Amino acid sequence: MTILTRALHALLILALVVFGGFPIYWMAVTALSLNSELYNTGQVWWPQIGNLPMLMADLANVPLVRWLANTGIVAVGTTVLSLTLGALAGYALSRFRFHGKGVIGFLLFMTQVVPEALILVPLYAMFISLGLLNSLGGLILANVGFSLPVAAFIIKGAIDAVPYEIEEAATIDNCPRFGVLTLIILPIIAPSLAAAAVISFFAGWNEYLFAATFLMDNTQWPASVGLASFIGQYETPLSAVMGAALIFSLPAVVFFLIIQRKIVAGITSGAVKG
Amino acid sequence: MTEILLRADAKTPVARSALGGIKWRGLLPYVFIVPPVLYLAVFMFYPLGRQIWLSFTNTRLMNPNRSEFTGLNNYERLFADPEFYMALQVTVIYSALAVILGVTVGMIAALALNRPFPGRAIVRAVLLFGWACPNVAASLVWLWMFNERSGVLNTIVTGIGLDRVAWLTTTQMALPSILLVTVWQVAPFVMLVMLAALQSVPEEVKEAARVDNADSLSVFRAVTLPHVMPTLQLVSLLVAVWSIRRFDIIYLLTGGGPIGSTSTLIVKLRQVAFENYDLGLASAYGVIGLILALTVAVIHALFTRHRLKRSQQ
Amino acid sequence: MPHIELDHIGKSFGTTNVIRDFNASIADGEFLVLLGPSGCGKSTLLRMIAGLGDITRGILSFDGRRVNEWTPSQRGVAFVFQSYALYPHMTVRENIAFPLVMDAFRKWYHIPVVNTVMRWKLMRRPDIAERTARIAEQLELTSLLDRRPANLSGGQRQRVALARSLVRDPSLYLLDEPLSNLDAKLRTQMRAEISTLHNRVRKTFIYVTHDQVEAMTMATKIIVMNKGEIQQIGTPDQIYSDPANTFVARFVGAPPMNLLDVTTGRGMVSIANGPSWRHEAAPDNALMGIRPENLVLNPEGDGPIPVEVSVVERLGAETILGCRILSERRDERFLDTDLVFVRVQGNPGIATGTRHALSYAAKDVRWFDRGTGAAIPHATALPNCA
Repeated sequence: MTILTRALHALLILALVVFGGFPIYWMAVTALSLNSELYNTGQVWWPQIGNLPMLMADLANVPLVRWLANTGIVAVGTTVLSLTLGALAGYALSRFRFHGKGVIGFLLFMTQVVPEALILVPLYAMFISLGLLNSLGGLILANVGFSLPVAAFIIKGAIDAVPYEIEEAATIDNCPRFGVLTLIILPIIAPSLAAAAVISFFAGWNEYLFAATFLMDNTQWPASVGLASFIGQYETPLSAVMGAALIFSLPAVVFFLIIQRKIVAGITSGAVKG
Repeated sequence: MTEILLRADAKTPVARSALGGIKWRGLLPYVFIVPPVLYLAVFMFYPLGRQIWLSFTNTRLMNPNRSEFTGLNNYERLFADPEFYMALQVTVIYSALAVILGVTVGMIAALALNRPFPGRAIVRAVLLFGWACPNVAASLVWLWMFNERSGVLNTIVTGIGLDRVAWLTTTQMALPSILLVTVWQVAPFVMLVMLAALQSVPEEVKEAARVDNADSLSVFRAVTLPHVMPTLQLVSLLVAVWSIRRFDIIYLLTGGGPIGSTSTLIVKLRQVAFENYDLGLASAYGVIGLILALTVAVIHALFTRHRLKRSQQ
Repeated sequence: MPHIELDHIGKSFGTTNVIRDFNASIADGEFLVLLGPSGCGKSTLLRMIAGLGDITRGILSFDGRRVNEWTPSQRGVAFVFQSYALYPHMTVRENIAFPLVMDAFRKWYHIPVVNTVMRWKLMRRPDIAERTARIAEQLELTSLLDRRPANLSGGQRQRVALARSLVRDPSLYLLDEPLSNLDAKLRTQMRAEISTLHNRVRKTFIYVTHDQVEAMTMATKIIVMNKGEIQQIGTPDQIYSDPANTFVARFVGAPPMNLLDVTTGRGMVSIANGPSWRHEAAPDNALMGIRPENLVLNPEGDGPIPVEVSVVERLGAETILGCRILSERRDERFLDTDLVFVRVQGNPGIATGTRHALSYAAKDVRWFDRGTGAAIPHATALPNCA
């Protein structure tokens, strides 16, 4: 490489880093700013760590812990249900031939094309009659419809890579039918299961539309709805809003960065986080 | 995706009797597949079918029990409504630009990161922020950055001597602003997938081309690009489908406005259902959106099949 | 310990018959090798015996009891896979102990946390721990017990697979090409180890391979298969010295048995456009089979079959010569026949292009029907004709 191309390359990287990283950086900077700076004197360009105690005090007035607890319940529920059902579907799609397999594969793919908004109203009506409206349980059930197929595709792809002979060896070794799945296959594909778990978890964590529609009671709100309620509302200081948004984002960012490579593998066998 | 299913079918081993008794063999697959399929039938396909059915009725949100079948009436209203054509146009333009810009920026980023340099791992992580950041949090920070009076974007714009921009509140700027956020979210994903594809290009083939005196641009065109083309098509499909589906970001940033300039079919669906209470018409909007997304998927499937056939010859 | 009977066994996938009509009886303590080219159905047959593939037709019985519907564990077999099929997420110790742990496994152990605890406890149960340790010691795996399969060499993995099959003390060992993923040197060593193992445990072994050397060195009995059908059943000696047909003759032995396309009559044998010589009691319409080591290389003119050496393979202890038969006519061109292979001891220093004559002893000739390829029973004690 010549000096010129090297300089252009460095410049390009710099531009990409600014574009990609600035909004998150700005979230942090804003969280550590004084409101008077934000709206009057002009925002400072770097984070002012000295404002941290003030931020903590402001955050204490936001029901962030309760929101995050609700979010956590939804995310865990979505993960457990998606992985359980996804493992069954993934195993069947990978290992068996049966009537309707092609149709089922297509239907699983279909779910990734369906806009959430399109099934919102019928689900709403259904949850009224099932008594699931305004409950986190109903929210979980709705979320799983979208994250189960993703988990199923990731798990199927992973099982495809496990030699069938290993299952036969287990059968020879007197391993019970269901044990082949729980004792042999699932532990072998643990890394892919982890990826599927992270994707399902944060599908539940980030979900907004269902939560905003199904949960009337603000004690049930997950953080996504709680945070969105700050839009157009000026009682809470913006720094606290950004602080809360940052706290809400951090787990998602950290875990997605950890499993990024596994997600790529999942992509090629089904489509994922959007 | 379809391509994956085809391939998977080809190498699936026959269900073998080792798995459970002989009598079980025919039923066993269903023991596994029925629970997840039943689940999806109840919580995904029943509501979907119900919604499609609603598009043929005059159901109102406030009065759901008094609905009657009205045939294609909702679609006639839809096709007579200039707002529908507006929404369709917004959806197509938004999705097409999301694909073009998102894939271009993502591909450039992937190429830039495909050669080693100090700090590459950190750069890579930073570039993924937009993809990993939850929609609601992203909306909040971009809203603040777009803020007309105190937002950082206008600070920069005025800093270089230009007039303040009304990022989200004028019909000319709202869609480009939304697209900026979309690219911020989508390009990292494209980069992630394309980077993996680029790294799987066999080094020997590239070297062989170099031995044959090809310069780096022709190596890229002759070797690298054909190798990553299937992946590029796949991510383009995904980005297109996601753009047609996308709701959160648009709804939270502009609510579809101003004057419908960012109102895609899906955003419009929500508005017609919950602000005009016209469930029938809203469903018709949704069905058109679904058809649009499916069309994209089918086109991709046809491309894939064509390529599979060619590679088999 | 079972006496295994295969009675008109057949296997079809859809409309294709993989195994046609298989009849065999396997005695207790036998080391049976199923030998044949890839795709001949030998692995399919082994999997049916194991219970890993269902039997389309016929009856498989152990000690007179029909076992067609039994699961592999009910049959009490051990199976060693070509790819070893070790559990990658378990240590060597856990791999070896797995069959024992499974024998003690109860349904309620499936509950997630219980499962981990109970498996941990079972691994430490004195009888299981001791048996695992003893088997590991027998196969020299003691120092590797805490490693995972990914950190083992091919030979070590093979030994773990053997240990895992040994640990439950099964009455029947089924081995599916267990050595084909090893390098040549290790294969020789493992061959000896498996033979030793068989001698020690005195159980029935059924061993599938396409490598005739493995079959000859380890088997007490060989079944040669081709295209789903039995070609010959016999001891290694019988298979080698009296092949039942041309397929066996050419499949067993390296280089294979020479099959000369000759015409016979009036006590004479002749090759078309080539030499002819005296040979009593030669059947009509037959191919003449002679093992390479039974051909004698003589100076030119000193034997019935004139040849020119065209290939020389020096193997150290012996040399293989590929010879072309010369025409009897004056132009002395080569005949359009296959190379005739001759095995000679040591390195006689023969160069390509040199001319010689071949002779043989009549007792070493085997005749095969030209149409069916089946061996024609040979009369004993024929006079030498060289």
